[in-house]
Amino acid sequence: MTGNDPRLQEALDGERDPATLPEGLREAYARLTAAADLLREPPTVSVADRVMAEVRRTAPVAVVSPAGVARRVARWFTRPRAVTLRLRPAWTLAVAAALAAVVLVPLREGVTPGAEEGVAQFVGHFPGARSVEVVGSFNDWRRGALALRDDDNDGIWHGAVVVPAGQHEYMFVVDGERWVADPLAGRYVDDGFGAGRQNALLVVRP
Amino acid sequence: MTKPAPGGSPLVVSDALSDALVVGRVLDGDGEAFGIIIRRYEPGLLRFATRMLGSTDAAADAVAESLVRAYRHLAQCRDPERLKSWLYRITGNRCRSHIGRRHTSDVSLDDAPPVADPADTWAALERGEQVALVERALAALPAEKREAFVLKHVEGMSYEEMAEVTGARIPTLKMRVHRARAALLVALKELV
Repeated sequence: MTGNDPRLQEALDGERDPATLPEGLREAYARLTAAADLLREPPTVSVADRVMAEVRRTAPVAVVSPAGVARRVARWFTRPRAVTLRLRPAWTLAVAAALAAVVLVPLREGVTPGAEEGVAQFVGHFPGARSVEVVGSFNDWRRGALALRDDDNDGIWHGAVVVPAGQHEYMFVVDGERWVADPLAGRYVDDGFGAGRQNALLVVRP
Repeated sequence: MTKPAPGGSPLVVSDALSDALVVGRVLDGDGEAFGIIIRRYEPGLLRFATRMLGSTDAAADAVAESLVRAYRHLAQCRDPERLKSWLYRITGNRCRSHIGRRHTSDVSLDDAPPVADPADTWAALERGEQVALVERALAALPAEKREAFVLKHVEGMSYEEMAEVTGARIPTLKMRVHRARAALLVALKELV
């Protein structure tokens, strides 16, 4: 059958000169390219005004400035609140001890819960990574808003952030380019952009 | 080139700006810069959606929704240099969702035969009939094959780009394109 002839497919994929096709295949080639040309007609409508009206109506994409983050972190340390801590039970005791050291500071200061906020603690095991950060719906997926730290170079990166109560999607970004869903998140949701990729899900209770 | 923005302040539009730079400007709070993205990709997205949905009105809705969604979630675009693939992916998803919701009995107004205008030339009428013939043949394909054919032959994408847009593997996409071509050849015997 003409349509299944591999020579025709190669020509249409740009892997073969169509002039080398036998006459019957050349005709099929011409028919399909003519069809594609007809479908390439430019659209007669535009949605630009409609979209820009929505863009102007919607608040601009939020930018979390370093100063803003610093203010929030400072507020977290100075205001009494309790800590909602995400611990990874599957990890070793050594890891747990390290995490305990991280959370002792706020606990010693007798923090109590904020009305509609919680503290999310992120921990990831990325040996050899040069940088790890967390981006998510709570920081408008803004790069640079929450960098994790690995002060003792053991490959365990950690950090905390004050987030509103509720569900938040997030991802780790390793070395500035590799997006990794937290393997220990336990809950995931489709990222909504197809390709079957998922974001980790964080649930923070006030 | 400088063109006045509807809001009053001038909007500098430059094709020299890379997608990543434009995305950076939008993320830094310059919402008007999103107009550059629209100008760059709207024609292709509308053509793609029109071929997927078989209706100009439905395509306009799908593309408008997709662009607004892209704006709101722009920071989630993991590789702004591949903005084009990301926008096509969002639009493709929106089209699939639209197709899934649509009742099979729905008939688009666009499917109605064109009304002849005395000013139309014979060549224009003939071309219109040919476009309608190809559109009908395309609409008869399953959505996945239709999408593969349109991305390859109408939008001119490589199989690598198509894989980024659809999430499907390249051999799968080649198979879809090959089968779409074979089916269209049968349906387009009348096409000169």
